[in-house]
Amino acid sequence: MTGATGQLLSVRHLVVRYDASGSRRQSLTAVRNVSLDIAPGRIQALVGESGSGKTSLARAILRLLPIASGQVLFRGQDMATMDRRQLRTTRRSIQAVFQDPLASLSPRRNVMQALLEPLDHFRIGLAAEREQRALGALETVGLDAGLRHRYPHELSGGQRQRVSLARALVTEPDLIIADEPVSSLDVPVQARIIELIRELRDRLGLSFLFVSHDLSVVRRLADDVAVMYLGQLVETGPAANLLGQPAHPYTRCLLASIPVPDPDHAPPSVVAGEAPSALTPPGGCVFHMRCPERIARCAAEMPEETRASAPGTDHRVRCHLWNR
Amino acid sequence: MSTPILSVRELSVTLGGGRASSTNVVDGVSFDLLAGEVLALVGESGCGKSKTAEALMGLVPASLGSVRARRLRLGEKELLDLPESALRRIRGRDVSMVFQEPLTALDPVFRAGVQLADVFRRHRGLGRQQARLAAIEMLSRVGFADPDLVLRSYPHELSGGMRQRVVIAMAMACRPQVLIADEPTSALDVTTQAQVLAQLTDLAGAAGTAILLITHDLGIVAQYCDRALVMRHGRIVEEAAVRQLFAGPAHPYTADLLAAARGGVA
Repeated sequence: MTGATGQLLSVRHLVVRYDASGSRRQSLTAVRNVSLDIAPGRIQALVGESGSGKTSLARAILRLLPIASGQVLFRGQDMATMDRRQLRTTRRSIQAVFQDPLASLSPRRNVMQALLEPLDHFRIGLAAEREQRALGALETVGLDAGLRHRYPHELSGGQRQRVSLARALVTEPDLIIADEPVSSLDVPVQARIIELIRELRDRLGLSFLFVSHDLSVVRRLADDVAVMYLGQLVETGPAANLLGQPAHPYTRCLLASIPVPDPDHAPPSVVAGEAPSALTPPGGCVFHMRCPERIARCAAEMPEETRASAPGTDHRVRCHLWNR
Repeated sequence: MSTPILSVRELSVTLGGGRASSTNVVDGVSFDLLAGEVLALVGESGCGKSKTAEALMGLVPASLGSVRARRLRLGEKELLDLPESALRRIRGRDVSMVFQEPLTALDPVFRAGVQLADVFRRHRGLGRQQARLAAIEMLSRVGFADPDLVLRSYPHELSGGMRQRVVIAMAMACRPQVLIADEPTSALDVTTQAQVLAQLTDLAGAAGTAILLITHDLGIVAQYCDRALVMRHGRIVEEAAVRQLFAGPAHPYTADLLAAARGGVA
C-alpha cells in the first residue's frame, strides 16, 4: 500500500539546519527546501560532492537529524504526526546501511548476534524463528551460513557490507537508505554489491535511496537520480534522461570530471573553483560562481524548477537556461 | 624517455620481523621508472602497492618489518648503500611523495606557508625572504588565485583539495626526479580530482619529473598514465603500455579489474 500519490516516500520542502557554534550565533542550512519522491521498487540515487548536504538529507529522513521545516511522508503519512506505534512500524520499514561497515557493526558481536538484534528489538516472529529468519537474510545477500559465528574483523570488506545489508533486510523493510555503501570497497567487490542491490530490488521489490558521490557507480544501478549542490537539488529525473542528456551545467561538469577507463576517451575537463561554503551561500543560482554557462540573471535570481525533457518524463532542472 | 631514472630489482618487504607469522607483503617486485613518464601501480587494497612506495622511500621502520632488494637505484646512486643521513637529503629533493590524506603530510600547528617555505630553505638553501617568494610562486603554479592568503592559513582552514595542492606544491618544490603519488586524489571529490591531477601532471611535465602513480582507479590509469604495473598479492602480474593494457590485458586478473571498472561483474 502506498500513499495517495503512489509514492513510498515523499520529502516535501525539507530544510535541515545546523547551529554553527563559533564566535557568533550562526546557522548553516545544509538542506534547502528539498522535495523528492521515491516510488516502490525504485533505486533513487542522490548524488553530490562533499558538503552538498546529501548525508544530512538522508539522516533527516531517518530522523537521525532534526528537521527545521518541511515534511517526510511515508506512504502518504507525515512521520512527524505519527503516534508511537505507527512510528515503530515505519522505522521497521525504513532501514539504513552506512559507508563503513566496521563502524556500524559492533566488534563484539558476531554475525548472528548482529542479525538477531533488530528482530529482538521489533519482536519479529517467535524467538525460535528468529534464527531461521537471520539465516534466510544471510542467504539472500549471498553469504554462507558458516560465517554466522564470525566477528566483523574476521570478515572481508565486501562480506561486512553484505552483513550490513542482511541486517537491514531482516526486518523486511520497504526502503533502504544506503549512504555511500560501496565507497570503501575495491572496484570488483563494489561491482558485486551493486549487482546484489539490483537483485534485491527485482526480487523483493525494495526501494533504495542510494547516496553516492560516485557517478560511475550511480550509472550502473540507479533508476532515478537527484543531483545535489550546496543543499539544493539542481536536477532530478530518470537515470537514462538525466545521465544521457544532463540538463544542469553542474551535472554536465560532474560527468565530464570522471576519468573514463578508456585511453581513447577525452580526458576529464576541469571546472574552475570550489563549492562555496554553506555558511555563506551565494545569492541567485547556487552554482553560478563556477558555472561555465552563466548569464547575467544567474547571480541575481534563484531559478525555479523547470521541466527539462519532453512531457511524460519527470526530468526537472533548476537553471535559468531552461527558463528563458 | 627511455633511461630508467629509478630501477628496482627484486624488492621484498616482510612484515612481522622474521617470526613464523611474518608475511611477504611485497614479494620480488622489479620495474624501471623511465625519466619523465607517468607509471601507474594498480591494484586492490592489500596488494602491497603502498608498501612498495614506502619501501622505495625508506619509510618502513625496522621494528615493523624488513626490506630487501637486489637493486634500488636512483639515477646513478644505489640507495641500498646509502646511510640514513644521505637518504634524508634525497627525500623531498630528488624523490618526493604525496599521500592520500594531505593532513598526514601537513603539520597542524604551522601555517601552510611556513611548511612550504621550509622545503626551499632546507633543500635549496634559500634565505627566509627568498623562500617566501619561492613559496608564493609555487602556490600560484598549483592554481591558487591568492597565494598570500594560503601562506597565512593553517591546514585546518583549507579544504581537502586546497590542502592536497599545498602538499603537491611542497612535493614539487625542488623539481624532483621522481614523485611517488599514493592515491593522491582518492579522498577528493571528482571535480577537485580533475583539477589536482591536471596540475600535478602539468607541473611534473614542466619539471621533467617522473611519476609513480599508485591508484586503484583504472579511469585515472587510462587518462593520466603512460605505462602501468598491475599488482596482486605482493607481485607484479602485468606490465604494459596503457594503451596495450586496455586493448588486450594479458593477465586474467587485469581482465577482471578492467571488466569491473567498465561496469561488468568480475
